[in-house]
Amino acid sequence: MRLKIEKYYPLIPVYAAYLVMFLIGRTMPSMWQMVALLAFYCAIGQAFNIFLGMTGYVDFGYVAFMALGTYGMALGITAFYQTGLGIGIIFIGLLLGVVMATLLSLAVGSVALRLRGAYFAIATIGVNEGFRYFVEGAKIWGGSEGMIFSRELKEAFGAEMASQLSTLWADVAVFIIAVVAAFVTIYYMRGKIGYALTALREDEDAAKVMGINVTKYKIIAFITSAAFAGLIGAMAWALKLTYVFPPDVFKIHYTIECIIVVLLGGAGTLLGPVVGGLIYAFSKYWLAVVAPGFQLLIFAPIIIAIIMAFPEGIMGLVKRRAKGTGWEKYII
Amino acid sequence: MELENITKRFGGLVAVNDVSLQIEAGELIGIVGPNGSGKTTLYNVISGVYSPEEGRVIFQGKDITNLPPYRRAPLGIGRTFQIPRPFKSASVRENVAIGAMFGTLSGKVSVDESLEIADHYIELIGLQTKKDTPSGTLTPTEKKLMEIARALAMKPKLLLMDEAMAGMHPSDIDNMVKFIKKVGVEENIAIVSMVEHIMRAMVGFAQRIIVMHRGAKLVDAPTAEALSDPKVIDVYLGRPSGD
Amino acid sequence: MIWQLLAGNLTNGLVLGAVYGLATMGLSLIFGVLRVVNVGHGQFIMVGAFVTLIMFTALGLSPVVAIPAALLLGIALGFAFFYTIIRRLIKAPELASLLATFAIGILLEEIVKHIFGAEFRGYNWDLGKIVLPITVIPMTKVYAFIGSIVIAALLYLWFNRTKMGTAIRTVVEDSEGARVCGVNVGWSYALSFAIGIGLTVMSGVFLTMFIPVGINPYMGGLYTLKAFVIAVLGGLTSPYGAFFAGLIFGLIENGSYTLFALIPGVEPFALTRFLTFLILLIILLIRPTGLLGAKK
Repeated sequence: MRLKIEKYYPLIPVYAAYLVMFLIGRTMPSMWQMVALLAFYCAIGQAFNIFLGMTGYVDFGYVAFMALGTYGMALGITAFYQTGLGIGIIFIGLLLGVVMATLLSLAVGSVALRLRGAYFAIATIGVNEGFRYFVEGAKIWGGSEGMIFSRELKEAFGAEMASQLSTLWADVAVFIIAVVAAFVTIYYMRGKIGYALTALREDEDAAKVMGINVTKYKIIAFITSAAFAGLIGAMAWALKLTYVFPPDVFKIHYTIECIIVVLLGGAGTLLGPVVGGLIYAFSKYWLAVVAPGFQLLIFAPIIIAIIMAFPEGIMGLVKRRAKGTGWEKYII
Repeated sequence: MELENITKRFGGLVAVNDVSLQIEAGELIGIVGPNGSGKTTLYNVISGVYSPEEGRVIFQGKDITNLPPYRRAPLGIGRTFQIPRPFKSASVRENVAIGAMFGTLSGKVSVDESLEIADHYIELIGLQTKKDTPSGTLTPTEKKLMEIARALAMKPKLLLMDEAMAGMHPSDIDNMVKFIKKVGVEENIAIVSMVEHIMRAMVGFAQRIIVMHRGAKLVDAPTAEALSDPKVIDVYLGRPSGD
Repeated sequence: MIWQLLAGNLTNGLVLGAVYGLATMGLSLIFGVLRVVNVGHGQFIMVGAFVTLIMFTALGLSPVVAIPAALLLGIALGFAFFYTIIRRLIKAPELASLLATFAIGILLEEIVKHIFGAEFRGYNWDLGKIVLPITVIPMTKVYAFIGSIVIAALLYLWFNRTKMGTAIRTVVEDSEGARVCGVNVGWSYALSFAIGIGLTVMSGVFLTMFIPVGINPYMGGLYTLKAFVIAVLGGLTSPYGAFFAGLIFGLIENGSYTLFALIPGVEPFALTRFLTFLILLIILLIRPTGLLGAKK
């Protein structure tokens, strides 16, 4: 894998943004909560963008992957907390979360991705509800009551360390995930995968005739997106909150937020989810103070407006302005 | 390539009726026939978009009748569309590169190599000035040229061209015919050009002409013979060399 | 004993199925004519439910009055959304209308939540019961059943006997051809969308006659899923297919509930919902055009 450095220049603005956010959060402790929120939305935005942005397909059941990541971490902690593996427990939980999310995406994807756009979306509408009711109905993993594992966490690490994990390390992990997701995004975009996805997004039939195995590439994007969702769920939800509750983790609400973030910033761009994430998270934070519970009411018409007038999102417009200037290399 | 007794039905309509034909490596063939004669359906059967009800498609000795389209391209079957289908948001260079990336026999072509191959064909066909513009903004003629370049970048052994020269200036057509013949000979590609009417392009280009009518093969003969065949003149009601 | 229970539940399922079918006809109509997938479908049903609730509890009006009220409201909303949003998205890529209708659904949820609050509400409308050998059915459900069938039949007549209905059918077949024949395609689109939404909102009334509890702004999502399963089952483009598929779905849903209830250690209600989703996946896999619909 020869890494041509030039291809990765567009990461610079993204990483610069993350660095600034991180530094602000560390140097001003009162800002850390907000910074963590910003990072969260940038991260899920990037994860969601890998699928939505690059294939043009929308997965309405996306939150299910985050939920599975959360369960994975919960199961890992509750199963291994007495083994004295220390930080290994967290990694096991993380691995479980990613594996579970990936497996679900493989199961759903191999069926649903053979379908065209609208049919695919319909198929995914039920995924998170379906899986939630499976968990509740079959009474696995705590059924409809979910799981609480703060006690297990404390037993495994001691109260002090457990609290550190839940607060500092969970949030830092989200930053790391965002960084990795950005890298994977640009790696895909610049590689064969990116070309294949662009082709299939624009014209699936012509792509097939050109020799592109469209189902394979759709699945790759889908699984990658799902895996990141699992990671985020494991860290930002399980580790941070130390409980998992089905009605919370399967809330379609989060899929909506992913859509807002990606669409606002510009689907299919690298900086888009970052910009979208920042704007949305700021607005949410601000609205929570000024007019709590109103953010969806305000953002729903905004999504509609974006779809109708600016389907390319903010970065789409910026990219067009940047064409022909020296900034082109950095703005993707 | 060989087509053996291909029949394709859509419900009650027989679009292609028991058609058999053979194409040798490097041959230059023309398929002629009015709208509805089954030409496009035939192309779609060859490139894998449609599956025939009866008959087989054999390419380089292999039976590919049931192979999905994306597997046929790397075997060496390339095609252009009558109404060009560029990947609009991608640049010309990227479009042609996609042809090279996924459609070539060797299979493992990297992104950089594909871009180089793309540059080569773009230069050959004369679109260098528009190399980096988004293909959605090209003129119709430029889009047609890009279609051809993209198909060529796939390094096909068999290139199916669909009304590639429709709507072009006669002098452009002559140039295109020369270009296609040259490339066909240089790279040993069998080229099939499909048109609705027998045009000057066909006469200067094809070694052999196949005339289709209502889904069946009417005539399959070297150009001169085909043009003077009374059946052909019947179907077209006019002088074949008039266009 | 079990058979009696099953038979009773299946009858209930059939009755409920008619309402489900009616609820889905709007979805199929909109997709058939405009090729737009209304992801906000369930939320329109929710609106109908709230209309019924408010009219009953605040105005003391029986749900029978709510039926035409909901229909009119739905048609009005349909026209409003069509002319502001949907019309511009017909030519746009699929993703656009999917997301737009999704956002409309969210908007409806939030508006209702802010006006009426998020609690679960219900109402009580008792008209007595019918006692059958296998089961007991409240009269309200019977009326809902009959109402659904009547409306479905009316719709059938309208499509096949009136000029406008025929015009819309031609647009479904071939919009360009219809245009050339002098059909006002734009108006057909608008009317179809409006009627589709009207049907959907109205079905919310019937639904509450069946399940008069649990009414809350977020109830729509589940019905969107059910509607999609039914629509796919019946062939996404055919409203009648949707109706019959609704009946089948009602049977399956209730039947499976009874069977799941027999299995120890599982929660039958949730498992039935899971089955719903499974059915959807299976059908999409095997025959995306639906069991009863035309090949497209």
